[in-house]
Amino acid sequence: MTKRAFLFGYGRHGRAIAEGLKLEEFQIVILESEDTNLKAAQDDGYLDTMLVDVTKDSQLEALSIEDDDKVICVMDDEHLNVFLTLSLRSLYEHSFLLSISDSIHTTQKLKKAGANRVISLYEVSANRIHNILKRPTATQLLDGFVTNHSDISFKEMTIPTGSMLDGQMADDINFGEYRVLLVGMIDEELSHGFLFITAGVEHKIDAGDTIVCIGDDEDLEEFEKSVVNKPKLEESI
Amino acid sequence: MNDIIFRFASRLDHSKRYNKVKADIDDLLNNPDNRYKKYIDSMVIFLIISSVAILIYEVENPVPHWMDTYDIYFVSFIFLVEYLLRLWVLNDIRIGIIQEHRDALYLNRDYRPWIPLKRSLFEKLNYMLTPVAIIDLLAIFPAYRPLRVLRLFVLFRVLKLLRYSKNIKQFMEVLANKRFELLTLLLLLVFVVMTAGIALYVLEEQINPNIDSLFDALYWSLVTISTVGYGDISPVTNEGKVISMLIIISGIAMISFSTSVIVSAFSEKLSELKENRIVEQINKSDKFLIICGYGQLTKMFLRQEEGIEHNYIILDKDQDRVDTAISDGYDAIKADASRHDTLSKFSVDYSKITMLCLTNSDIENIYITLNAKIVDSKIEVIARANDSALYKKFVRAGADHILMPNSVANTMLLAAISQPVMHKAVLAILTGKNIAKIDEMTLYDDNILIGKMVKDVDFKSMKLLFIGIQRGRDNPFMLNPPKDEVFQGGDIIIMMGKKISHAHFRDIYQEHRV
Repeated sequence: MTKRAFLFGYGRHGRAIAEGLKLEEFQIVILESEDTNLKAAQDDGYLDTMLVDVTKDSQLEALSIEDDDKVICVMDDEHLNVFLTLSLRSLYEHSFLLSISDSIHTTQKLKKAGANRVISLYEVSANRIHNILKRPTATQLLDGFVTNHSDISFKEMTIPTGSMLDGQMADDINFGEYRVLLVGMIDEELSHGFLFITAGVEHKIDAGDTIVCIGDDEDLEEFEKSVVNKPKLEESI
Repeated sequence: MNDIIFRFASRLDHSKRYNKVKADIDDLLNNPDNRYKKYIDSMVIFLIISSVAILIYEVENPVPHWMDTYDIYFVSFIFLVEYLLRLWVLNDIRIGIIQEHRDALYLNRDYRPWIPLKRSLFEKLNYMLTPVAIIDLLAIFPAYRPLRVLRLFVLFRVLKLLRYSKNIKQFMEVLANKRFELLTLLLLLVFVVMTAGIALYVLEEQINPNIDSLFDALYWSLVTISTVGYGDISPVTNEGKVISMLIIISGIAMISFSTSVIVSAFSEKLSELKENRIVEQINKSDKFLIICGYGQLTKMFLRQEEGIEHNYIILDKDQDRVDTAISDGYDAIKADASRHDTLSKFSVDYSKITMLCLTNSDIENIYITLNAKIVDSKIEVIARANDSALYKKFVRAGADHILMPNSVANTMLLAAISQPVMHKAVLAILTGKNIAKIDEMTLYDDNILIGKMVKDVDFKSMKLLFIGIQRGRDNPFMLNPPKDEVFQGGDIIIMMGKKISHAHFRDIYQEHRV
C-alpha cells in the first residue's frame, strides 16, 4: 500500500516537509497557487505538481482525496490556509488534515476549520526557552532525542499478536534488559488516548496496543525486532 | 627630587592594593550600577536631611551640644572625605609621570615630571570649578553659628542632593535641553522689568511715598510682571497705572510661554525618562532577561503557563510593537538591541543577563547575538533561527542556544504523519504539558542520594520515570542506567512525570540534608 500525501503550499514550510515525506517514502502530490513556488517544486524534482486555485471548490473536488490520505496545508498566506482547511474539511470529511500555525489565533481558527492536527510554530520553541532557563541539561538531552542529533531517540511500535509483550503487565516487564525505557502507550482496551507511564495506572499490554519507548537507536531496533518477531518467551520475563 | 617623584609614582603604579582600592572607590562613587552605592547614597542623604533638620530646629529651640558637634564636625568631616576622594579618583597623576619618564628615556632628553604633574593638577582644578564640585566644597563648611546668613550654608548641603537624586538630575537635564528658549525668555524678562522699573522710578519717585529708590521700582516691576502682586507698592499716577497694565499683559504672555517651553521639554523627554527608569529598575536584579523583538514567539513565551521567574525587559525597534507590548502589560522600551550603547546600558558587570533574540529576521538576530557577545561574553544568548541553514552562523556568532521554530514545526508535522503516537508523546513533553514534564535535579555534595544505588530510590511510587544520569558535561548521557549504579556528587538526574511528582521528589531528596 503506498502512502499518499497532499501538500498544499511549497513555500516556507512546504519544501522541508516535502523532503521529509520523500524520506518516509510517501507518494507526494504538491499543490500550489503561485507559479514561482510551483516552479521551485518542479525544479526540486517533484513530478506530481499541480497549480490550483484553492478558493475554487470545483478544483479541490477534482483532486479526489481519499480517506487514508494525509493532507498538509502549509500555504504561506495564513488567511488562504485557513480557508483551504475549511474547504477541504467540508469536501473530504474523513481525511487527515494537518497544518502549521504561527500564532495563537490562527491555531484556534485552523482547529475550528477542521484540521486534525495543528502544529503551533512557536509553542514548542517558546516552551524551550522556559526549559533552557530552568533545566538546561534536560533540555539539551531532549533536543538531541527529538532532532536526531544524538543516538538516543523516541520510537513507537505496535504490539502484534503473539508478541512476547502480549498480555503482560507493563510493570512486570524488565525493559532495562533491553536498555530501553517505556515512556507510555496507547491502550486500546482503556481508551484511545496516549497514557504516560507516569500517570500511575496499571497497564496490561495487549496485541494492538502501541507503545512508545526511548533508547539508543540500535537498542531500540533490537528491541523492536524482539517485540515484533519473537513469540512469547517465558524466561525473558 | 625628580628621581624621588618618579620612584614614588612607579611604586604606586606597581602596588596592586593601591590600584584596587582606587578602582573600587571610583566605582563606588561614580558607577550607578555598583551594588553598594545605594548604601553610600542613603547615608549621605540622611546626613543632609539631618543637618537641615537641625538648622530648622535651632531657629526656635536651643540645640544640645552633641547635635551641634554632629552637625559641625561629623557631617562636615564625611563631606570633606567624600570631596577629597572624588578629587583623588578623578585622574591618575602617576601614569603621566611614568609616561614622561619613558618618553624622556626614549628621546634622551631631560626628565620633566612637573609637566604631567601640572597637567593633572590642572584637570583637578578644572573639576573643582564645576558647579557640582563647588557645591560639594561649600557643603563642607560648617555653618558658622554667630553669623546668621552663613548658617544658610547648610542649604548647600541640600543642593548636594542633586548629585544623589536621579529625578532632580534628570529634571535639570531636561531644562538644560531648552537652554536657548529659557535664556531668551530670561533676557526678555530682564529687559521688560528694567524698562518698566526705570519708567516707574522716573515717573513716581517724587510722588509715590512707597518708592524710595530704583531698587523699590524694580522690585515692584518684578512682583507685578510675575502676577504675584503683593500690593505693598502700587502706582499712583495714571502714567504709572498704564505701565502696570502693559507689564501685566506681557507677564501673562511670558508665563504661558515659559510654561509651554517646560511642558514641551518634558513631553519630549518623557518616554526616555520612563525607559531609563525601567532600565534602572531591572539593573538592580541579580539576573534578568533581555527579550529582543515583540513578535509571536515572544508573546507565546510570555503567555506560557510556566510563568517566568526572571525579571525581564522587552526591546523592540518598532514603536507600534512596543506600544502593543506595554498595553499587553509587559515592560517594554523602544531600543535597537543591535547597537552597542543600547546593551551597555545594562549592568553586565553585576547581573547575569540572558538575551533572547526573537525577532523575525535572522540577520537581525545574528547581529544582536554578535553585539551581545561583544558587549560582554558573559551574556548568555538564546537566538532564534528561522532558516535552519544559518545554524552554523549562529554558532559562530556565539549563540549559546539556538531555536529553530520552523524546522521543529516541520519535524513535528512529519512525526504526526509517520509516528502519530510518538508525536503525541513528544509534543506533550516538548510543550510542557503537566502530565509529562521532564525535569532535572543536580546532586550537590551534601545530597543524601549520593552513594545510594538506583534501585534504592523508589521512583515508581512517586510516579516518576527515571530516564538517566548526566555525569559531567562531556560524558555521554547514561540512559536508564543499571539498577546497581551508584549516584555520585555532581550527577544530574533526569526524570519525567507530573509537576507535583517532581516537587515531591525534591522535597524528599533535596531539602532533607544529612
